[in-house]
Amino acid sequence: MLELLDVTVQYGSFKALNKMNMKIAKGELVVLLGANGAGKSTLFRTISGLNKPAGGRIVFQGTDIAGWPADRIVKAGIVLCPEGRMLFPQMTVLENLRLGGYIFRRKKELIQQRLEKVFSLFPVLEEKKDLPAGSLSGGQQQMTAIGRALMADPELLLLDEPSIGLAPLVVEQMFQAIQSIKESGTTILLAEQNARAALSIADRGYVMENGKIVLEGSRTELFANDDVRKAYIGA
Amino acid sequence: MEIFVQQVFNGLTVGSVYSLFALGLTLVYGILHIPNFAHGAFYMVGGYITLMAMTGWGVHYVAAVVISVIVVGLLAVLTERIVFFPLRNMPPLQDKIAAIGLMLFLEAFAQLVWGTEYRTMPTPFGKVVDVFGITVTVQRILIIVTAVAVMLILYLFLKKTMTGAAIIAMSQNREGAFLAGINANKIAMLTFFISGALAAVASSIASPINLVFPGMGHLVILKAFVIIIIGGMGSIPGAIIGGYILGFAESLGGTFISNDYKDLIAFVLLVVILTFRPKGLFAKEVH
Repeated sequence: MLELLDVTVQYGSFKALNKMNMKIAKGELVVLLGANGAGKSTLFRTISGLNKPAGGRIVFQGTDIAGWPADRIVKAGIVLCPEGRMLFPQMTVLENLRLGGYIFRRKKELIQQRLEKVFSLFPVLEEKKDLPAGSLSGGQQQMTAIGRALMADPELLLLDEPSIGLAPLVVEQMFQAIQSIKESGTTILLAEQNARAALSIADRGYVMENGKIVLEGSRTELFANDDVRKAYIGA
Repeated sequence: MEIFVQQVFNGLTVGSVYSLFALGLTLVYGILHIPNFAHGAFYMVGGYITLMAMTGWGVHYVAAVVISVIVVGLLAVLTERIVFFPLRNMPPLQDKIAAIGLMLFLEAFAQLVWGTEYRTMPTPFGKVVDVFGITVTVQRILIIVTAVAVMLILYLFLKKTMTGAAIIAMSQNREGAFLAGINANKIAMLTFFISGALAAVASSIASPINLVFPGMGHLVILKAFVIIIIGGMGSIPGAIIGGYILGFAESLGGTFISNDYKDLIAFVLLVVILTFRPKGLFAKEVH
């Protein structure tokens, strides 16, 4: 579904991504592991069009989308739920979600349909729908961010550190939600610090260091790998 | 008492013009982070287009205002495309320099085409009427009614339409808006169109009680910056309320303190308000 071929991203002379290669098949949940600064967020920003690659190809369903503007990539079917959430803090939860369906703005029933899906995934959002997004707790804001991303009905959902800074109980809910998004047929690329939880719901994983993929494998392979256990699972 | 009521009415008139004008400035600043110093030049061009449509082509005042709104709106879109769009990834100083350059260019252009003399704009609404015991021209009532109507339409557009919501979204989180599938270019052009159109409305309704000349935007743009700083940079209610605060302060201060210092009041107000509210009255809360 998505294939990255020698993708390079530069900030000045620093190569944040250095000839990166990656492949995601339809229906997979792929986990991306890596320390802070490894380039995970840069990768996500580049796939979703917020950053422009200096070289390489990003092929999505047979089309090279490298360098496309972000809104066109959303229309193509890739939506990023970014690190830091990037909500519209003074707007209500409902307004945030509706804007997530901006590409369907002329199809009112479709927006309503998506909205019901999001509310059934995160019932608490329906209770809070008239509150400003900025007034919610961290976990609810994260749900709003994921909900907003789902409103565009993505084929490929990119989740950048959705559990960061959340209470353990909320993290657990978050992973359950991610799993049910996957079960509904959405392909997911997930970056996580919480490697154990992430790997346990994943099909495959990649390990990133210094802007490159250094290791890839199935869930069981990565769980069994000593380096991965030491660096990311802590056991 | 009568003088007081008269001055409150004047404040309402002047404030309406300030609010309309400052709204365009704050919209562009809030959404694109460009302090558009050329906004005063849009105001000036708006005045000239209305005047020329009336005197040159013999168009009715109201139709002339509509023409002016469209022309200046499109002019603003054009400047976004050829001046600000190519600078979008540059450091913010470049935008400021470009805006000043644009202002100088438009003023020189107006001098070349329309000359430097001061002109008066005729209005079919020059009749004098008595309202609530004070004597006013219909034009001044028209200013208030038009301004309030335009602001109401703008409010409904921003609040009730998806496109309006996209504009607000971009002012609250730019990248978040891109990720929601909002086309940054279209929103930037639309914002500039609205901004130019607001400047044209403001100058077209204010010109019959002022004068039309190439430098007519100078004092207005300075005061508009004061207004949006007082109101909180990028805040829409801040621009409206700031505009009226300044309008009242000027007309009351001009009468009861000294008319010579009328234009100074804006800046004294700025110093006082910033002393107590350094981020302005309606600064966005930090989350």
